[in-house]
Amino acid sequence: MTNNPHHESAIQHVTGEAVYVADMLPTGQTLRGRVVYSPHAHARIVSYDLSEALKVEGVHDILDCKRIPGDNQLSVVNLDELCLADGVVHCVGQAMFLIAAETDEIAFEAEKLIRVEYELLDPILTIDEAMARGNRLEPPRRIEIGNVDDALKRCKHVLSGELKTGAQEHWYLETQAAVCVPGEDGEMTVYASSQSPTETQMVVAGVLGLPAHKVVCEVRRMGGGFGGKETQGNHVAAWAALLANATRKPVLLSLFRDDDQKITGKRHPFQSIYTIGFDDEGRIEAYMVDLHADVGIAADLSMAVLERAMFHAENAYYIPNVRITGHTWKTNLPSNTAFRGFGGPQGMAVIENAMDRVARYLKMDAAQVRFKNFYGIETRNETPYGQMVENNRLFTIWERIIASGNYFERRKEVENYNRSHTLYKRGLALTPVKFGISFTTSFLNQAGALVLIYRDGTVLVNHGGTEMGQGLHTKIRQIAALELGVPLEWVRINATNTSKVPNTSPTAASSGTDLNGMAVKNAVDKLKERLSPCAKMMLNEVCGSQTEGDITFKDGQVFFTHEPTHRVGFVELVKRAYIERISLHATGYYSTPGIQFDKDRGKGTPFHYFAFGMAIAEVEVDTLTGRSKTLRVDIVHDVGDSINPQIDMGQVTGAFIQGMGWCTTETIKRGSSGELLNHSPDTYKIPGIGDTPEIFNVELLPLAPNPKAIRKSKAVGEPPFMLSFAVWLAIKDAISAVGNHEQEPDFQLPANCEVVLLSMEKLKGNG
Amino acid sequence: MINGTTLRFLQDGRVVEIDFAGSAMRPSTTVLNYLRSLPHHRGTKEGCAEGDCGACTVVLGEPGENGRIRYKAVDSCMLFLASIHGKQLITIENLAQRKGSETILHPVQRALVVEHASQCGFCTPGIAMSLFAFYKSGMEPTRENIVDTLSGNLCRCTGYQSIIRAAQELCSHREPDHFDANESHTLELLRQIDSQSESMQFVHPGQTYFLPKSLEQALRIKFENPGVHVVNGSTDVAIRQNKRHEYLPAILDISAIGRLKGISREGKGHYVGAGTSIEALKEFAASSFPALSPALGVFASKQIRNMATIGGNLCTASPIGDLIPMMFALGAKFEVIGANGKRWVEAEDFFEGYRRNCLKSDELLKGIFIPEIDENVLIFSEKVSNRRDLDIATVSLCGAIRRDGQGVITDIILAYGGMAATVKRAGHVEQFLLGKKLTVQTVDEARQLIARDFNPISDARAGNDYRLAVAGNLLMRMVE
Repeated sequence: MTNNPHHESAIQHVTGEAVYVADMLPTGQTLRGRVVYSPHAHARIVSYDLSEALKVEGVHDILDCKRIPGDNQLSVVNLDELCLADGVVHCVGQAMFLIAAETDEIAFEAEKLIRVEYELLDPILTIDEAMARGNRLEPPRRIEIGNVDDALKRCKHVLSGELKTGAQEHWYLETQAAVCVPGEDGEMTVYASSQSPTETQMVVAGVLGLPAHKVVCEVRRMGGGFGGKETQGNHVAAWAALLANATRKPVLLSLFRDDDQKITGKRHPFQSIYTIGFDDEGRIEAYMVDLHADVGIAADLSMAVLERAMFHAENAYYIPNVRITGHTWKTNLPSNTAFRGFGGPQGMAVIENAMDRVARYLKMDAAQVRFKNFYGIETRNETPYGQMVENNRLFTIWERIIASGNYFERRKEVENYNRSHTLYKRGLALTPVKFGISFTTSFLNQAGALVLIYRDGTVLVNHGGTEMGQGLHTKIRQIAALELGVPLEWVRINATNTSKVPNTSPTAASSGTDLNGMAVKNAVDKLKERLSPCAKMMLNEVCGSQTEGDITFKDGQVFFTHEPTHRVGFVELVKRAYIERISLHATGYYSTPGIQFDKDRGKGTPFHYFAFGMAIAEVEVDTLTGRSKTLRVDIVHDVGDSINPQIDMGQVTGAFIQGMGWCTTETIKRGSSGELLNHSPDTYKIPGIGDTPEIFNVELLPLAPNPKAIRKSKAVGEPPFMLSFAVWLAIKDAISAVGNHEQEPDFQLPANCEVVLLSMEKLKGNG
Repeated sequence: MINGTTLRFLQDGRVVEIDFAGSAMRPSTTVLNYLRSLPHHRGTKEGCAEGDCGACTVVLGEPGENGRIRYKAVDSCMLFLASIHGKQLITIENLAQRKGSETILHPVQRALVVEHASQCGFCTPGIAMSLFAFYKSGMEPTRENIVDTLSGNLCRCTGYQSIIRAAQELCSHREPDHFDANESHTLELLRQIDSQSESMQFVHPGQTYFLPKSLEQALRIKFENPGVHVVNGSTDVAIRQNKRHEYLPAILDISAIGRLKGISREGKGHYVGAGTSIEALKEFAASSFPALSPALGVFASKQIRNMATIGGNLCTASPIGDLIPMMFALGAKFEVIGANGKRWVEAEDFFEGYRRNCLKSDELLKGIFIPEIDENVLIFSEKVSNRRDLDIATVSLCGAIRRDGQGVITDIILAYGGMAATVKRAGHVEQFLLGKKLTVQTVDEARQLIARDFNPISDARAGNDYRLAVAGNLLMRMVE
């Protein structure tokens, strides 16, 4: 069990005892909050009347932007996102008014009585429209190495093209929610579903006009986050806080699913244009790509998302001449935001699609072309931004997966199948992932912890990370128990709370365990150092000796490292230490060393290390309907020395299936006025259990310690998301089989039934 | 005629009684909202309020045919509180047992913990309840059965592999649980609360809810209250209530009428009562009517099939109703009963427009007669949707082709869903194929005519061009 303890909340999950925000029952009357949002993408608010709605029995208050006591601002980065609309609405879903009522039903009735007169303005709804009007968020960014213009002139083969990748709805099972409880002297306690408690605290303090020390944010757990609650969880918290402040009563604001889908931002859709130059062998000499991101109405995290897309534009391939240009375009759509992979998937999709195209053009196997271009171990290992790829695991993984996935045999089988079948076609693809670990916004790479030992020997760990299902608290608990040498059961992880650990970074960028684990270790190290003299004293009392030496903490006991036979219990030690007036709590802190990036030069060492993985997918496509079925998936993924292999397996399979959803069925469609057409799971289809491959072999790369992170582990949250490109490109391979691989098929992401069928129809000459 | 106004059901081992006259609850309040209004039942989660995610899954226990309790997983977000009259409501809080300070997990819960099958935990109670019903059903833990059990439960974290392992592990060695130990007591309680109530009428200041036990009573209520809204599984109207806060003033729930349920052999075919659940129809199809199976295999989810009925699916008269094209192709006849007696309506005449059927205000659909399929008739059906399971059809087709000894088509029905405001036959294509033999070339030519029959909409599911292409392509299945 010590290696693979179950999720620290598993018992609470399965019994229904686990408390989520909407399950909380603060004392006294809790009001329900409701946000009234814009139905228009762009409009001037000519007038509005709240008076009838305010008369509804059970309505306690309705707020507009004039009632905000502090700043009318939700953004902590660019200050470009109003909390409540002021005169103009800029996207469908923009918050305008807030209602506090005794029940959801009363709030809904009141909303119907709010009269608003709009003057419609011309919206920008697509990247193309934004380009036509020059509506940039910020000037383009660039990362460059070698001389791409010269190289392209020299290349024997040059291909150019465009790729569109779609938005993705997070579809966390628990919608955005917050409970705010007002206290004395203006205090506000926020129980949030937020990946970023400190930012939630700061945003709430900002709208209420309070100093930070009067606002406490607590996060017990989220029912899923995936990036969707990195900034946008703040919004709901701010709205609930305004209502709680106005009514001086606790307010629960939990978004209805359809509202959540309409209001919140998605994964950024990208439109990318590339030119790739290569030789007869498929070696890539030059790659030029323009990544165009649709950021929506506000900056949110878009510049960081764009940066990560740029950092991953070459994925696992060494290319000597590269120019990556990133563009951000503002549209009248809800602000797009963080989503697992954070731009990485959008950047990588382009090169992976181009690699596939190069292979088809040269009539070579696509996996072989990829292999030829992998980053080298000692040479050919400089990234376009100047960081060296160290501890490269690509070749180790390649060897394992080619063998375990039986790739080349199956390539022949797929070809044979396609020769003898016309209505169904099969496809096979192998894709690699190299993913940089660290926040690319360098200052975020810090974490704090507060470890408390009580007089009975039990330990309460506070740290700055939040639990959204990824198992962070479980791993932290393991780390604390192992470092302190006590049984797992003696350690509990507290709800994340800004009054225990301040100035937390968001739990994001796959870095939760790396950063917070180190901070907890730092605190535990301090405690052990303080307890050691007391331990020596007690051990010497037991033995009647005057020995010196290092103390080992293990199995709930302490002993001289050189003499394990005589031991003192940890509990006895703690009791004695208290009597001896030794402090039993300590803070811990960690900041990732050696990372920096110069945005202007496009050079630096933005990442502490890289994570690697590879996947092989085989699919079958129905040529009559465009429907695809994933038959088999093989994954080998590098997680270093896993702290908890079962949790890491869960992250790999979960990320992969989530990525597969983005690549296949998850299509965001908008109407001609910018309204979201698929605003519920009725029409927005995330993968169900039946969509998972029947054969699904996942291996964590063995014997691969990572020297850079806590207990030689490796971050795992995001990288496997992009392994799903194997499914996406296997679908393309199957489409291509319709035209005997003679032509490059029309393709985009997601490859939903519609995209696949229309592409095949074109190859058949029907399109 | 009405002899009960107090709702009674079993929960937490006790009889719960609700008198709606003085209650904040309406009869049509969903079971989910009822549970979440209680202090200690918030384990049941709302994920979507439209039956698409299963986070709200609970299990209903009812006396089964073999003297045992039959457990059915249902979506509590679409279940009207009044409709659980006389049943046992089992929620996530009921699975584990408390012995002093110790919690003894149910085998379902233990398996989920051991296999690391919860991550964020929000979908977990619903998954546990679906698995609980599966555990009690005795079904084999094959992949097919596990997918069938859980296609109505979305999980965004795990990728489902750990959940599949838990289901396999759990159901490979079933053991009696505390529900078995309490079964006779539970059955006795269920008998008590059901015998106290013949037909029920629940009255709330804003809503009257009729729950009759007999068809005659239902017809009388319908006659006396022409505006009353008929529900059976409530899977359609509950969503409107959840999303638009539309509360019906008068509801006639016909789900307690035993006579409307069941499938019987009659003459040269089968009679299916309108109140037969889709799940029961699916079981019947698997054993005795394979032509129906493809459509039922991809019909919604287990939870919805347990609630929804064939009458509800047909009377909703949606252009994408899964069973309607099948009724056209099979030449089903609909038995309609009203104040003036019975009448039979051909399937094609039953549907008059977009979500509009031919029932008069005093009438109910009693059942359908499905004739046997002739040996020389080929039936084929397909539903095309973005996701295989728990999705609504983008396009569906059910066809019936009669051929003579030479293979020449003498009769043909091609009924399409999702291509027009109602389910509609492809008249031009049918005419073209009539008198011809089925060859790849003929069907390929026929395919070109589809645009003469339909001009479908573009919507959130697909565009006009995709619908037309697929509608044509599906004809190729005839020559596959």
